[in-house]
Amino acid sequence: MKIALFGNPNTGKSTVFNLLTGLRQKIGNFAGVTVEKKSGLVSVKGIAHELIDVPGVYSVYPSNKEEKVVYELLMSSPINEKPDLGIVVADASNLSRSLFLFSQLIDCGLPLVLVINMNDIAEKKGIHIDLNSLKRTFSNTPIVLMNARVGLGKDRLLNALSSQIDELKTEQTQVSNTLKALSDLSGQEQEARQRHEHIGEIIQESVRTAEKSQRSHTLDRWLTHPIFGYLIFAAILFVIFQFVFSFASYPMDAIETGFEWLTIGIKGLMPDGPLSALICDGIIPGISGVLVFIPQIGILFFFIALLEDSGYLARAVFLMDRLVRPFGLNGRSVVPLLSSMACAIPGVMATRGIPNYKERIITIFVAPLMSCSARIPVFTLLIGLVIPKMKLLGFINLQGLVLLGLYVLGIVSALFISWIMHLILKQEKRSYYLMEIPEFKRPLWRNIFITVFEKIKVFTTEAGGIILAISIVLWALASYGPSEQRSAAIQSLKKTSEYKTKDKVEREGLVNAVLLENSYIGIVGKGIEPIIKPIGYDWKIGIALITSFAAREVFVGSLSTIYANGGTGSEFRLSERLKKQKNPDGTMVFSLRTGISLMVFYVYAMQCLSTLAIVKRETNSWKWPALQLVSFGFLAYLGGWICFSLL
Amino acid sequence: MLLNELKVGDQANIIRIADDVFRTKLLEMGIMPGTLVTLVLKAPFNGPIAFSYENTMLSIRKEDANNIFVEKMMNHA
Repeated sequence: MKIALFGNPNTGKSTVFNLLTGLRQKIGNFAGVTVEKKSGLVSVKGIAHELIDVPGVYSVYPSNKEEKVVYELLMSSPINEKPDLGIVVADASNLSRSLFLFSQLIDCGLPLVLVINMNDIAEKKGIHIDLNSLKRTFSNTPIVLMNARVGLGKDRLLNALSSQIDELKTEQTQVSNTLKALSDLSGQEQEARQRHEHIGEIIQESVRTAEKSQRSHTLDRWLTHPIFGYLIFAAILFVIFQFVFSFASYPMDAIETGFEWLTIGIKGLMPDGPLSALICDGIIPGISGVLVFIPQIGILFFFIALLEDSGYLARAVFLMDRLVRPFGLNGRSVVPLLSSMACAIPGVMATRGIPNYKERIITIFVAPLMSCSARIPVFTLLIGLVIPKMKLLGFINLQGLVLLGLYVLGIVSALFISWIMHLILKQEKRSYYLMEIPEFKRPLWRNIFITVFEKIKVFTTEAGGIILAISIVLWALASYGPSEQRSAAIQSLKKTSEYKTKDKVEREGLVNAVLLENSYIGIVGKGIEPIIKPIGYDWKIGIALITSFAAREVFVGSLSTIYANGGTGSEFRLSERLKKQKNPDGTMVFSLRTGISLMVFYVYAMQCLSTLAIVKRETNSWKWPALQLVSFGFLAYLGGWICFSLL
Repeated sequence: MLLNELKVGDQANIIRIADDVFRTKLLEMGIMPGTLVTLVLKAPFNGPIAFSYENTMLSIRKEDANNIFVEKMMNHA
């Protein structure tokens, strides 16, 4: 049986959903739209039923995407998709607004159970609900009191569901749909007015309100204060970034080290050969490359869920909306975009809270331009190579200034592209920013834990597959090549005088460089040299560009492999080695202008297949990741060319 | 006067909502002519405003607030 869970926003609907289903949840999209569809299993008297979490709405009349989903689920979905039974979660403090949706759903002919949630809070406010009077008014619908946050009333709800299910089985009465499917606005308005009048009468009979206790807004005034509001927001972000940057590195290192041990272990057990290479050098690093994102995703969503569940996020959105609106963004875009400075993947996943489709797409699109932590190794290597260690005016570190400049370039570009998209993209409908500012609540750890768990699950199961597949392909292309060409190249390497004078370790490095040069990726890298020459790169940099498509930081490792001449070793020595590299004409490979060109290239280039995979997942189409790949690639090339030509 | 012209803490009755679609949306949320609202917050730099009605605080953008005509309540504490 299909059970649909309805309710206004902020009625504790998600808490009820989490309480009923626990971790047995599935997150997807409603067919054809980017509205999140959460479903899970709820067992009633030992039988599992599907519970669908319907987006929070105030009305079933379709005027936005969420309402359209609800409307279509009720009216036009095929019989086997239609819910058999509905639960409506009502906020006890706001009963009249919840009854509006509830009575519309009754008119749709759907059998219902009404949950009056958070009755304890309502009682504290002096609102007393006469349950018997309500039960008399809606005699066909079981009504249960609940306090889902502490798990109170779960059994009552399950019993009510069970009795409704039994009734559905016994009598196959045809339900009649008396909701007038009004498409014209004035009709809707008139209908809504009559409904409110009717509900007003019910409320008068069943709800008694003692003296009006005014909600205190002192905290809200501080949190949205023109100075302190922004300071508090900045401080909260600072704490989150500290956690994501410094503390995520421990579990990330542990994951990588763990997989390295696993590789060594398997290598010891298996004979050398293509299968061992595929497992140890292709598949295991690929899996490690997916799992390594989990700490950042987990930590970021822990904080985002904490901010959301406590009610602070709504204040931050309220505070930031005006500042980002000129760029076509929403107040809700701010946290996802700032999160992208740690990693674009959780940033893109965090855009689910943006209610407007256009604003959400713009936010997803520009998120990869925010400089993420994977660019740091690339930037530090290049800055160390080409920017002299000196102080401006005696105290400003020039290298630090360049790094800051790269971050600023990313942010400015993200805002500029948002603005352009804002002008180009069509708005389907006039959008309204209507956001409830919920009361502060003590965060509920169960809700936060489930959010973190679900985000990690979605990333590993849905984006992880694509990432793993492409990284294995990239590994194969980098490890194999035309065998005749490769052995010939090795033969000629071994004849060189340089090779003969080196020790065993250095010889191995030279062989690896030749192997990469003559791999399929190496051949492609050489092939694109005419294209990248105008922006200052040789074919060796070309190879590193292509391999780093898997992830930006791979650039450093690839350079280390390909520039093996001059000794292999730690990253520290890598920059010494790279400084010595000369072009055939005797000039330095890593000149100032090549270095700057490369840095600007990495500010823009969409060099991260994991981000592309998650953008595909979140937008439900390949169109947006493809557009990012092409347009950011173009910007990267253009930026690199301008820097290389002007300097 | 307009909802946006109220000062923080002012109470007012809604008289009329100008924009058709917006009016219907607010109506579905229980906001209509006659609803008593209190202006609670104004975001910096002419940002959104927040008002409370019944037991809810709702924020809307300034240009939408300019579509809501209200009558300010006098002599309230």
